[in-house]
Amino acid sequence: MDFANRNNTANKFVCPSDRQLALRAKLKAGWSSSKSNEPLRPEEQEAIISVIRRNEEIEIAERQRVGRLVERVEKIKLHAVERGPNCCRLCGDTFGLLRPQRLICEDCRKSVCAKCSVDINIRYHNSERTREIWLCRICSETREMWKKSGAWFFKGLPNYDMPRSASATPTATPTVGGSRVVQSCHGTPTRAPRLKKLTIRVQDSSSGSSDSAQSEPEDELDGAKAKTGCKLQRDESFRLRAYGSIRSFIDNGERKLSNSFFFSRQAANSRPNTATATTTTALAAAECGDFDSISMSNASTVAQLRRESSFMRRSSVSSSWSFSDSSGSNNSATQQSQSQSQSQSQPAHCRDPLLGWLELAISYRESFHSLDCTMVRARDLPAMDAAGLADPYCKLNIITPEAHTKYTRWQRTKTVHKTRNPDFNETLQFVGVEPEELGNSLLYVALFDDDKYGHDFLGAAKVCLSTVHSTTQYRISVPLGVEDQYSSEAELSQNWPNGKMLISLCYNTKRRALVVNVKQCINLLPMDNNGSSDPFVKLQLKPDAHKNKKHKTSVKWRTLNPIFNEEFYFEASPHDLNKEMLIVTVWDKDLGKSNDFLGSLQLGAQSKGERLQQWLDCIRLPDHFHEKWHALAPDNPTH
Amino acid sequence: MAKTYDYLFKLLLIGDSGVGKTCILFRFSEDAFNTTFISTIGIDFKIRTIELDNKKIKLQIWDTAGQERFRTITTAYYRGAMGIMLVYDITLEKSFENIKNWIRNIEENAAADVEKMLLGNKCELNDKRQVSKERGEQLAIEYGIKFMETSAKASINVEEAFLTLASDIKAKTEKRMEANNPPKGGHQLKLTESRTKDSWLSRCSLL
Repeated sequence: MDFANRNNTANKFVCPSDRQLALRAKLKAGWSSSKSNEPLRPEEQEAIISVIRRNEEIEIAERQRVGRLVERVEKIKLHAVERGPNCCRLCGDTFGLLRPQRLICEDCRKSVCAKCSVDINIRYHNSERTREIWLCRICSETREMWKKSGAWFFKGLPNYDMPRSASATPTATPTVGGSRVVQSCHGTPTRAPRLKKLTIRVQDSSSGSSDSAQSEPEDELDGAKAKTGCKLQRDESFRLRAYGSIRSFIDNGERKLSNSFFFSRQAANSRPNTATATTTTALAAAECGDFDSISMSNASTVAQLRRESSFMRRSSVSSSWSFSDSSGSNNSATQQSQSQSQSQSQPAHCRDPLLGWLELAISYRESFHSLDCTMVRARDLPAMDAAGLADPYCKLNIITPEAHTKYTRWQRTKTVHKTRNPDFNETLQFVGVEPEELGNSLLYVALFDDDKYGHDFLGAAKVCLSTVHSTTQYRISVPLGVEDQYSSEAELSQNWPNGKMLISLCYNTKRRALVVNVKQCINLLPMDNNGSSDPFVKLQLKPDAHKNKKHKTSVKWRTLNPIFNEEFYFEASPHDLNKEMLIVTVWDKDLGKSNDFLGSLQLGAQSKGERLQQWLDCIRLPDHFHEKWHALAPDNPTH
Repeated sequence: MAKTYDYLFKLLLIGDSGVGKTCILFRFSEDAFNTTFISTIGIDFKIRTIELDNKKIKLQIWDTAGQERFRTITTAYYRGAMGIMLVYDITLEKSFENIKNWIRNIEENAAADVEKMLLGNKCELNDKRQVSKERGEQLAIEYGIKFMETSAKASINVEEAFLTLASDIKAKTEKRMEANNPPKGGHQLKLTESRTKDSWLSRCSLL
């Protein structure tokens, strides 16, 4: 306080003196830490808020401009052929003597032809000499985007809105950041009251129900397991490891909220109402739901906490998003009949809330008959590898009223690597969607984990298209549901040119060995002139110091679908298995020349998804055979 | 949405209260001058689009209050600024002395490679001058930034000052994007490889 008094004696209309600055530096609170005793007058606050609002309008325009820049680059990327080093990255022309000259792009080091690239002169560090470099169109456009968006200055792309949202009217509410600025002038240290309130509530609710937070998750999961059956099992075993206790505590809150959708529409903007609305839905959910282990009052605080935290998260990501009406619907199957404001309350166990949720934006352009679906982001996806991460991507299709998929080709987004909370920000376009179709069609989105040896299901969502209007963008956040016929269809649409293998694992406790039964393969690649192959399988358990953990099957002549049914024993302790990796390779036997490689598979604690699942099951449940189909990858791991 | 532009530069005006930051901005954006002194409340900004080398550059110029009581608000806007104008009053010694405090303030709050410029305002009042032009230049050299004496009232050098700052930022953009290949790191090694190869080739051609 001594410090504040001294400050009062100084002239406030000029910059503080060196001495004052030195004193403040010791406080380590920055130069601006001094709190003037005069709070802002209401008219001053108003003036500042109006400036902040004006700024927000400019920021919206700027975000859209950056969005257009990003979209431009994405479009070029989408049209790139990417056929390998011997073809141009963009147009796919092969290089050669009489063909286009091969150039290497400075940024991506991929080969491009002169037609698809630009040459620029750059200067050496401190000299006047220049040299010519080539940039492919993608990299030159990326550079341009970095320049124009200001990303070069801020060391990363600023927040942006993809162009589809251009039609949405900018909301004129002050951001959280804005109100924080005003609040801090009053002398509150640094945080806005909202933040404070939130932290207090976290403490309250966790102290009030800390016992239930610790003991309940398992109980409740067991209950849910019994009810929903084996499907849940796999997700739990992954997730329980990855989640902390607080995390599952919050997820419990989400479980309560599992039958309420968060509709986020930019037009509607009534925050005070939603607070009560969400709480009541949460209460309704608690009443009708079958998870009665948490008391009702507890559930509502958790729900509110959840709501506030997700609100905070969202507003920090993009301020134009705001919570509006939350209407209930639980089961993705009943979503078809769901309308925006109508709330339904059916048993909540139809859906596993732990599969995470997906935010997407849909708009329809009547003039083009095209439906633009932007996958914005997904949150809290199931973990797929031992590190608790996944490599998610989305596959999209439209489901017609006859319950068929409209397109034979599923659209897919790019993979976002090593995250359970991916930001896709990718727009996929369905062309040829008639306006009258919208009324009773569904958009189906399935999320998969990208891996060399097969794509594992992460979650799926269906969105009713009847609420999609032309011109205005429809932003929605949906919880992800479990597998169904469409997700398996999506999975099958991915073709695995190298075929598949059925393999069975068992840990034999008597012989202290891993038993591998190679059962059969299907759809192997034909390698011989007669249109077939002579396949056999090699197995190796790595690390293999003495080179004695190798086995191979007999050769099955002239077949692409061999049935082996051969068993092999690898001596290993269960503890060792956690560090080892079974490498399976399929070969085509050739007499007189080297064998041809047909496909590979890796099983171990470092593999992902179903492979990891089978491996862990084998260790956890010994003396039982665990059988699974796996896709074979085209690259040879032994090389 | 009507006007499109190629770049958006955010500039910031700082300096003691009453040195004429708002007047400079008013002169630049509206080409007008107002003699009555109205202290800026917290923050304000004005927009002007200029053209440099056939590129439309939208300048969003933030005007800050010099008064200390608004410091919390004004410092919040340092981080987003790409260019900062430091303004002092040539008829007021104190405002010049405070420039070093403002610079320190920038170092604390603004981005590291922000473009800075020093302006000595009210240069039409030569008879009341307390700070010589040489001292201003000297200080600018000390900090390695550009310097200009301006007058919002007589419309001297205001336009030039903003254009200089904007073109400096633009030049920096281009230089930055050329020098080190931008978005991802990771191929730094390859870059040096190709460099060494280049130098070897050039030596070869000399022989």
